[in-house]
Amino acid sequence: MSDDDRANLLALYHQMARGRALEESVVALMNSREFRGFYHPGRGQEAVQAGVCSVLQKDDYLMYAHRGLTYLTAKGMDPALILGDFLGRVGGSTGGLGAGTVHCVDIKHGIMGQGGTLGSSFTLTGGLALASQVLKQGRIATAFFGDGASARGTFLEAGVTIAAWKLPVLWICENNGWAVSARLADVQGTEDIAPRAAALGFYTEVVDGQDVQAVQAAARRAADVARNGRPAFIEAKTTRVEGHYSGDTQPYRDKDDVASAKDRDPMKLAREVLIGWGVSDEELTRIRDDSAGEMAAAESRARLTPEPTRERIFEGLWV
Amino acid sequence: MTVTEITYAWAINHALDEEFARDPRVVLFGQDVGRMGGVFGVTRNLYDKYGAERVRDVSIVEHFVVGGAVGAALGGLRPIVETQFADFLLVAGDESFHKLPKWRYMHGGAFTVPVVVRAPSGIQGGVGAEHSQCPEAHYWHTPGVKIAVPSTPADAKGLLKSAIRDDNPVIFFESRRLYRVKGPVSSDPELVVPFGKANIARAGTDLTVVAWSGMMPEVLEAAEVLAAEGLSLEVIDPRTLVPFDWETVATSVRKTSRLLIVHEAPLTMGPGAEIASRAADELFSELDAPVRRLGGPDVPIPQNMALEQFCYPQVSEIVLAARELIRW
Repeated sequence: MSDDDRANLLALYHQMARGRALEESVVALMNSREFRGFYHPGRGQEAVQAGVCSVLQKDDYLMYAHRGLTYLTAKGMDPALILGDFLGRVGGSTGGLGAGTVHCVDIKHGIMGQGGTLGSSFTLTGGLALASQVLKQGRIATAFFGDGASARGTFLEAGVTIAAWKLPVLWICENNGWAVSARLADVQGTEDIAPRAAALGFYTEVVDGQDVQAVQAAARRAADVARNGRPAFIEAKTTRVEGHYSGDTQPYRDKDDVASAKDRDPMKLAREVLIGWGVSDEELTRIRDDSAGEMAAAESRARLTPEPTRERIFEGLWV
Repeated sequence: MTVTEITYAWAINHALDEEFARDPRVVLFGQDVGRMGGVFGVTRNLYDKYGAERVRDVSIVEHFVVGGAVGAALGGLRPIVETQFADFLLVAGDESFHKLPKWRYMHGGAFTVPVVVRAPSGIQGGVGAEHSQCPEAHYWHTPGVKIAVPSTPADAKGLLKSAIRDDNPVIFFESRRLYRVKGPVSSDPELVVPFGKANIARAGTDLTVVAWSGMMPEVLEAAEVLAAEGLSLEVIDPRTLVPFDWETVATSVRKTSRLLIVHEAPLTMGPGAEIASRAADELFSELDAPVRRLGGPDVPIPQNMALEQFCYPQVSEIVLAARELIRW
């Protein structure tokens, strides 16, 4: 363990803490009924998102998924833009149209939005990577998705074309074993997603998604491969602590399964490593407090902008 | 600059060629559009001329064709894609009804999505219920996408050039029955036909007929038949359904006091219903006869060529309907 290793893991811990603090702000807005839409908590999956985004360049494309917020802030997006979307303010990234995460957008950080129909990112990342290839930009196009979305037909259609065209694509499957109430093995007949990507010709990595350092190392290898013109795939075995949406009490799930997911909390695991490396508990507490403070300040900034009026629905359809 | 007689298919090819030459961000992909030059020969020579980087064949991947085009547009290209048959566009339902028309709006107007989807449509050659449809009403019902329905070689070229230069997504319906029809087309690379501007294909006084794309030959022939009887049809080709040039239609109806809409798509909930409804709303006091629609019968299109001809309005039906309205 070098000073660089420690600084790197502290930075990853900070990104996980920021994502979790933002999620806690959102849940508080739901509890106070200020945000009345749906939110899909990403607690337990922060290491995958922080680890992968830590190796991306600022202009690499990100198509995020619906679960959690860590990839957005780790990619560089201002949390005030995200909270503005939750609060339905014109200062949100969608100018007051969005409500929640699925359409957050930040072009200057390569965050190209997200579709409400899962699995649509497969084809869109293929197109983004095609643009990067034709325009010789050297950007890679990343998509995060769950094990459920990996069943979509778009996976195959985009996958074969991306492989044929040698596009700079990196797909990250956050395999938490659950698609809403369905267990992966029950509905897909397997626990493993990476073999189907390997069969298409993608470079694949399978990694413990709770170990942020392992995710980062796998992502560095995979991103290098993708940038050099062979599509790459990471299957991160991860855990879903909360229900499908905030408020889902998960009656379909064993208590033991939830308990073991909590036990594999990626921030807890990273903390144990850092303490072992001589980092003080106070420093880690300060990182978490700073993250919470950052999100509180972001929320205040988001509140400074007004709510949209009816005219907003007619704006922006056409160029 | 010259004007030559070329086919509708070749006019589309010229538009593609000129726009490829003008803008290096233009790319084309779809089944068989590359080496083969398209199953209808529309994209011939482009692969040889512009190379494998910009002209790409794909497998049977309609989801990717449309979704990949949206992604490529977000990344700064100006993709043109072909779905081989308009029916296949429906395979890519999520991409064509959701991603293509909604991506810009859903994200607060942050993006432009300059995609052109070329969709060869209509009844021709006994290809059956899943290769013969005119699904323009489905997309007219979906806010966020422009729709072109050219009926002449010159319009096909000029409208496609407008579509490629447009920052909005466009579905470009090409009539397969018209591919081999010739007409005068200018070689001027800057001659574009604007969207939302109807063409008065034939001036007249007794009845306004609105028709487009593959129905135009039948309608113009019916107008000739009726002219011999001293009845005068004004035939309006809107050229694009989105945007729709309502003013030209309304001006004509104010003159003729009668309106007939003719389209190939099935009658029920077809595009004519929208035009008729708007006429009822806005031109009620101008009308001397009911607004009439002619469309395909509400059946899937049989593969038997002897039967498929009954699945879009024929000249005799148009003549009968027009005569009845004029004599109302």
